[in-house]
Amino acid sequence: MIKSIEEYLDLLKTELNGSDAATIQDALADAEEHLRAALASLREKQPKMSEEEALNQVIEQYGSPDETASAYKEVERRTLPSLARESSNQQDSAFKRFLSVYEDPKAWGALLYMLISLVTGIVYFTWVVTGLSLSLSLAIFIFGLFFAVFFIVSLRGLALLEGRIVEGLLGVRMPRRSLFFQKGTTWFDRLKTNLTDKQVWLTLAYFFLQMPLGVIYFTLIVTLFSLSIALMAAPLVQSITDFPILSIGIMRYYLPSWATPLFLLVGFLIWTLTMHLGRLIGQLHGKYAKMFLVTD
Amino acid sequence: MIDSATLTKKFQKEMNAGIASLVLLSVLQKSAEPMYGYQIAKLFEEYSGDASFMKQGALYPVLHSLESSGLLESKVEPSVSGPPRRYYEITVEGSQMLVIWQGVWKQMKSFVDRAIKGG
Repeated sequence: MIKSIEEYLDLLKTELNGSDAATIQDALADAEEHLRAALASLREKQPKMSEEEALNQVIEQYGSPDETASAYKEVERRTLPSLARESSNQQDSAFKRFLSVYEDPKAWGALLYMLISLVTGIVYFTWVVTGLSLSLSLAIFIFGLFFAVFFIVSLRGLALLEGRIVEGLLGVRMPRRSLFFQKGTTWFDRLKTNLTDKQVWLTLAYFFLQMPLGVIYFTLIVTLFSLSIALMAAPLVQSITDFPILSIGIMRYYLPSWATPLFLLVGFLIWTLTMHLGRLIGQLHGKYAKMFLVTD
Repeated sequence: MIDSATLTKKFQKEMNAGIASLVLLSVLQKSAEPMYGYQIAKLFEEYSGDASFMKQGALYPVLHSLESSGLLESKVEPSVSGPPRRYYEITVEGSQMLVIWQGVWKQMKSFVDRAIKGG
């Protein structure tokens, strides 16, 4: 007999062991929402029924932890996150695989992510620094408490949003729901549970680090792509304008015509390598985001 | 020795896999307002009467999967009592898909009926 919703959630978590962390978070949030709503409505209808009896009736309808876990595992197995694809055919030649990066949505997604992470990084950083400093300085007032709770709740919301961006662009499965905490009912208790929650601090650290990371990603991508475009465009620009590739003092150096294909090739090579680098960084960032933003 | 209970359960589960999506889309299509999981589960209970086809907990992963395919969309709203609730609503693509799926279901149903009757 399961005695409380918390016990059910613990059992469900154990059953889901080995599943994707995002799936576990969704499953726990779904179960908590459903069981609480069902329990409340049953207790209203039959006030004489004991708490434990009511809970077990509700669980009977919802499914035991192992039944529920197997339903989630089943669906998880059938659906892949949007960008996940079958890995490329190993029989293809190395050259083909090198070029196949252009048709990999993950590489393009990662590049887009690296570009926008400058903007999102600044927004997150500003929010975190403002929220933290206001929470600390307002702590001497009663309403400072409300502000701190509001700030932490907003962090959870932002974490969910970043999770959606990461899943959409990097193809890493992230939770669709945020976990909520019911343990404390007063504002002070709520603050206390949140402050002792490792997840809140990890989220805070993630958002804090997102700005430097965003700056690095953005600079890296823009620099490499500019270099690549410049190399490919140099012969063309030289042929239509009189602009030299290099000028030192009054000396002007022009590209010899035999170097044109070489420049095109090197420019293209840098572009392709950047795509590969972007995809690699995207994969690493996805893992890192999962570690910091998803409850384990 | 054949374990008929386990086999029936397995058969039921395999059948539910696709049907749950069809039924969820239909319910949300008919509903004028977005619905949350428990409301949907209650409605299912009403439809199924005494027979219970699937555990309520199995609906949620299907909801998530329909959402990630873009057939449903959802929003979280705080509730008066207890944790916030996720409300689901059918998208335009979901409504279009439902029409196709209903057609598939009709064909499937008549095929199965005829196969069972044998003529």
